[in-house]
Amino acid sequence: MPDVISQNLPFLMRGLATTLRIAGLTAAGGTLLGLAVGIAIHLRVAVLAASLRLYIEFVRGTPLLVMLFICYFAFPALLGYRTTAEQATILGFILFIGAYIAEDVRSGLRSIKPGLVQAALATGLTHWQALGLIVIPLALRRIIPTLFNQYVRLLKFTSVASVIGVQEFTGSAMLVNARVFAPVTILAFIALTYLVLCLLLSSIGRVLHARLAV
Amino acid sequence: MSYEFDWAPIWEARALILAGLATTVMLSAASLVLASIIGVIVGTAASSHRLAFRVGAGVTVEVTRNVPLLIHMYVWYVALAFLRLPPFWCGVLGLSVYSGAYVAEIVRGGIASVPDGQGKAALATGLTPFQTFFVVIYPQAFRIVAPSLANVFSQLIKDSSLASAIAVMELTYVAGAVEGQSFRTFEIYITVCGLYLLLVTIVTLALRFFSGAREQAPAMELASA
Repeated sequence: MPDVISQNLPFLMRGLATTLRIAGLTAAGGTLLGLAVGIAIHLRVAVLAASLRLYIEFVRGTPLLVMLFICYFAFPALLGYRTTAEQATILGFILFIGAYIAEDVRSGLRSIKPGLVQAALATGLTHWQALGLIVIPLALRRIIPTLFNQYVRLLKFTSVASVIGVQEFTGSAMLVNARVFAPVTILAFIALTYLVLCLLLSSIGRVLHARLAV
Repeated sequence: MSYEFDWAPIWEARALILAGLATTVMLSAASLVLASIIGVIVGTAASSHRLAFRVGAGVTVEVTRNVPLLIHMYVWYVALAFLRLPPFWCGVLGLSVYSGAYVAEIVRGGIASVPDGQGKAALATGLTPFQTFFVVIYPQAFRIVAPSLANVFSQLIKDSSLASAIAVMELTYVAGAVEGQSFRTFEIYITVCGLYLLLVTIVTLALRFFSGAREQAPAMELASA
């Protein structure tokens, strides 16, 4: 390992820990949000479904960086609260990826054949039981590949947080670079780390899909 | 909610915002063209009969896609600083290489979806391999993958906002500047969102038009950052 990296390894690893923390939290939050939104739209909840569609369209047309700026600058100004860069990042990522996951969840729910629901109802399950026990688990198992696609995106996105000053992996690496100036080594190191992490994440997705696909 | 809306500073900064929009359009357009060229070359290599081409293209795509876009931009802007490329072109190159990998995947899928017999028949009628691709295979593949391409291209436009991190004065960068001057935080970012939405809509509609304006199947979910 080059000296630049080994000497700054503890610092870089702290950045990587922040990256993984942000990615983990936002993956969980985004999945929950996406599930809730996707199900609400699927069930055609009055008014709510229409406004959620608007939310999805808005987010999907907005660059991630602008979303972060909105969460870091605009929301606090609008609603009068204080936030840190990391909190704003987490909120922004959850709102951002939640919209994409909601679309995936919705298409997963749509792919469940009506006959399955009818069969569930015929066996005496209530509507909610049919949804919670049959439709949602099946839909989730079906969308595992797209879901993990979103998680990989999320992991790559965390680098954008450095733009609003979060000291995650990329941010720490650029700080190290500012001090020692070895851009080729440092960028190669972080690129390789992201590559390995992303490939790892997608192979987890593939294994899960192979095991759980229906 | 105690926030009072005031759109006047946004209107006063319109020249700056439009200049930013123009830069975003040029940045996206240049990257779109370059990404398409890269995508067609790598995607065609990925569907080659030669193993070495397939493996080479596959590895290139995987490595490129799994590294964050911001790192791609830093590579051109910081690591290859000795080339002294202007920030704009660093942005174009980073964006093109990154999106090119996604286009390559789509091109590969498109070529695979054109029946094998088409290429063989074209060669049998005496077309050169070059003609076979450009007259027979690509046009058919394009119709099939147009919705996915629209996805990647709209992603590309949104991704161009990251060029602000390497000091390209595009829309997002300008938004930050206007925000810093006027403190009309919410107004400026809503304006910018609207402009991005406009660009994305134009590209999506244009691709729908050029691909034959048929009823589109739902786009393949190909995500990018």
